[in-house]
Amino acid sequence: MDEVGSPAFRRSSAPASSSIRTETIESLTDLEDLERVYAQLCAEEVEVQKELKVLSGQQSTIETKMLALQRIGPNLQLIEGDATQLSGMINFTCSLAENVSSKVRQLDLTKKRLYQAIQRADDILDLKFCTDGVQTALRNNDYEQAAAHIHRYLSLDQSVIELSRQGGESTAVDASLALLQEAEVNLKALVTKRLEEAVATGDLPQVERFFKILPLLGLHEQGLAQFAKYLCSQLASKAEENLLLAMGSDLSDRRAPLIFADTLTLLLEGIARIIETHQPIVETYYGPGRLYTLLTHLQKECDAQAQKVVEKFIQQRDYCNKFQVVQSSMMRGVSVEKIEPRELDPVLCEVTLMNSRAELYLRFLKRRISADFEVADATATDSVIQEHQQCLERLLKDCKLSCTIQELIGYYIPMEEYYMRETVNKAVTMDTAEVGQLSSSMVDDVFYIVKKCISRALTSGNSDCVCAMINHAISVLETDFREVLVTKLRAGYPASTLQDLHRGVTSAVSLMQSSLQQGKIQSLGIESQEQAKTAYLVTLNNVQVCSENISTLKKNLESDCAKLFSQLAGSEHAQAKIDSCLSDLVNTSSKLKDLLQEGLQELSNTAIKPQVKPWISSFLSIAHNIEEEEFSEYEVNDPWVQQLVVQLEQLMAEFKAALSPIIYDTLTSLMTSLVAMELEKTIFKCTFSRLGGLQFDKELRSLVAYLSSVTSWTIRDKFARLTQIATILNLERVSEILDYWGPNSGPLTWRLTPAEVRQVLALRVDFRSEDIKRLRL
Amino acid sequence: MEDYDYLFKIVLIGNAGVGKTCLVRRFTQGLFPPGQGATIGVDFMIKTVEIKGVKVKLQIWDTAGQERFRSITQSYYRSANALILTYDITCEDSFRCLPEWLREIEQYANNQVVTILVGNKIDLAEKREVHRQRAEEFAEAHSMLYLETSAKESDNVEKLFLDLACVLIREAKQNTLDNNESAPMPGEGKNINYLSCCNIN
Ligand SMILES: Nc1nc2c(ncn2[C@@H]2O[C@H](COP(=O)(O)OP(=O)(O)OP(=O)(O)O)[C@@H](O)[C@H]2O)c(=O)[nH]1
Ligand SMILES: [Mg+2]
Repeated sequence: MDEVGSPAFRRSSAPASSSIRTETIESLTDLEDLERVYAQLCAEEVEVQKELKVLSGQQSTIETKMLALQRIGPNLQLIEGDATQLSGMINFTCSLAENVSSKVRQLDLTKKRLYQAIQRADDILDLKFCTDGVQTALRNNDYEQAAAHIHRYLSLDQSVIELSRQGGESTAVDASLALLQEAEVNLKALVTKRLEEAVATGDLPQVERFFKILPLLGLHEQGLAQFAKYLCSQLASKAEENLLLAMGSDLSDRRAPLIFADTLTLLLEGIARIIETHQPIVETYYGPGRLYTLLTHLQKECDAQAQKVVEKFIQQRDYCNKFQVVQSSMMRGVSVEKIEPRELDPVLCEVTLMNSRAELYLRFLKRRISADFEVADATATDSVIQEHQQCLERLLKDCKLSCTIQELIGYYIPMEEYYMRETVNKAVTMDTAEVGQLSSSMVDDVFYIVKKCISRALTSGNSDCVCAMINHAISVLETDFREVLVTKLRAGYPASTLQDLHRGVTSAVSLMQSSLQQGKIQSLGIESQEQAKTAYLVTLNNVQVCSENISTLKKNLESDCAKLFSQLAGSEHAQAKIDSCLSDLVNTSSKLKDLLQEGLQELSNTAIKPQVKPWISSFLSIAHNIEEEEFSEYEVNDPWVQQLVVQLEQLMAEFKAALSPIIYDTLTSLMTSLVAMELEKTIFKCTFSRLGGLQFDKELRSLVAYLSSVTSWTIRDKFARLTQIATILNLERVSEILDYWGPNSGPLTWRLTPAEVRQVLALRVDFRSEDIKRLRL
Repeated sequence: MEDYDYLFKIVLIGNAGVGKTCLVRRFTQGLFPPGQGATIGVDFMIKTVEIKGVKVKLQIWDTAGQERFRSITQSYYRSANALILTYDITCEDSFRCLPEWLREIEQYANNQVVTILVGNKIDLAEKREVHRQRAEEFAEAHSMLYLETSAKESDNVEKLFLDLACVLIREAKQNTLDNNESAPMPGEGKNINYLSCCNIN
């Protein structure tokens, strides 16, 4: 409806039906204007007529709709009447419901009171029933029944009993109560006594029988204490038996070296089994949350028995004495009495195993007790939960077992450290380098030992113990072992006097031949010299392998520790500690890398520099102030660079064979730096013609091409200055330098100072010094 | 890049119960833990502080004072940059044990280690058993810094660690200076000379 009406409405409210106002028309004087306005008005008229037609076309539709509306009228009146009627009915229903519900409420209250009355009557009846029942049960020695009656009585609402006494039946109730109270006292005493007797005689069925009765009488603590006493006595006799067996066991047995760890394991497993077996009955008859109490009792026995095992262990394995000897020999370095590290091996294994079993057991306790508390404390307040948590922590932390094991580990660590140091020393003394091997036996041996020691510490499951051994391992590697490598390197690489004599004859074979001619003494000298050389190169390889081994060790230990500690609850902290200790290995590795760098520098200084220097300075004897003829001659017979390349190749061949590829590459890089430096020095002592400059450029290109082919390092940078010198020496005129200098340098970065550029220009015999001086650089 | 300029290892040592753990927790967590139990083995915390725009990461190792953990704690001395040797001013005994601790330091720590002596629990002034002057003299005789603290009242705790960090920064700067001076060829590898005989370790 709206849609039809709105366009018409909008149109009629338009400001004026025509865009031209009457006044405007009246004020028109110009014919042209008049005609234009007239035409416009005509157009508008046509427009208006069109619209009118449309509107009158809509008339019939609107009329139909009006008719329909009129027909709806009466229906609306009907609806209104119905609605009023409905509202009346709802009101009526509402008041009716109110009425009824208040009656129901009253009824409800009455019912509740009735129930209470019945309950009270029941209670009083129960009271009587209990009184009678207890008497009969006690007479029949049916303690369960008697206890059930007392339990019923104890769980009666005390206020109800009080009310009943004030009521009409006071005397009867009083009598019942008195009887019951007396029965309660008697029963408690009786049952407790019977339980004690059963515990004393170790009669399990009876123990269990009375253990179940005690909580009915509210004697939870006593029940648990007695039960624990029974379990402890069982535990003790079994433990003593096991210890006796252990002491008398065959020394040749496979498990003999671990017999005390095994005995401790038996003890702890025994307790775990007790918990498995008896937790259900405790939970059923005493409710959840009681395991802690039971275990505080059991733990005392566990502590005592574990103590006995440990004492025997210390005694039989001579543990403390071993520790003392180790301690004093580490303090004074060389001591009279010394323990063979191999002797410590079994005892170290046994201790870590004992520790791991104790940790396992304590974790088991923690898990079980926590779970039990959790069930009991489902609705408890935070403070109660926290209190329980703390009790548990204290039980685990302060128990004698924990302390004893910590003491054992306290002795273990210095002994393991001693084992590690001594065995590493041994590996160093027994070091051998197999022919054909780049590094010698000690590097891998040392890392095998270190890994073994830390892994053993790891089996203890004690993160502090692991950290301590990692710290010691780092100390051994960083001080003791590094010192060994440093000493070997400090012996130095022998300067080759013979090689100086027979310059150019550098292959080992010809060296041997020439030395054989010089007599035996000389050859011996050469042999030991060769040994020293090999030793030096092997040590360099060793240092490199070590720094690699350290990285591997770190990675392996990281994953081992992660595996071991990740399953444990609250292990993030232990993990963080271990990671922090392990990260120190990175320092150790970089210290070795520094050492390697220094050793290579030393090698370069003693073995490469003295050789390379004369080869390079021989450049001086090759004239570069040359004409066409000599230049062509040089082209046919290379005067210098090919010889140099051959010499370098021969010199480095020895190192290439004896050094690991990475180190060799670094050494080559040092060699190239040296060549560049020496060549630069030499160039400044020469003179050049234009063609000489060209010759040098050729020579330099060959050299750079060769050196680039033998190392993975970039050579260009090291030879940048020389290349630029060659460029300058190749100029046509002095002023040509300006095409490359300053704003014209383009991508070229000059490594030469202006003064050096002048110096190089001056090397050209055909450049006049005035021209050079006049240059503006 | 790591988000710090320096990393220092600080190890706290001293008799059981003198308040090492409380000092560390006061500094790292800003609280005084009620009913703090004895430390088992070694505890480890990290706190990064900023001193004059320099970010210093302090790795703090809180060791157990009880005798049976001694061999564990000893393994931490060698790599420590600083040691905080703590005693309890209300406990003469903890003071009398200091020479024993100094022997440990002598034996296991590296010789550049910075040691500071700390007398803790000064909030219990009425129970003081060790006079300040006595402790100061002792510290001076063994060339240690000295500070009195209360982990409970947060007295001097912040100062203890920040002062220590300052000293360590100074020493570290001094060390790099020394190394650069002896550098034979700047730019070629590291500058520490292991091979020259006068400079072992
Ligand atoms: N009044 C007072 N008590 C302190 C202060 N610092 C520590 N304590 C208390 O001294 C006791 C021991 O503190 P800990 O921090 O556990 O001592 P610790 O040196 O770490 O002991 P171990 O870990 O066994 O070596 C706790 O009861 C603390 O509450 C202090 O500044 N003032
Ligand atoms: Mg502590």
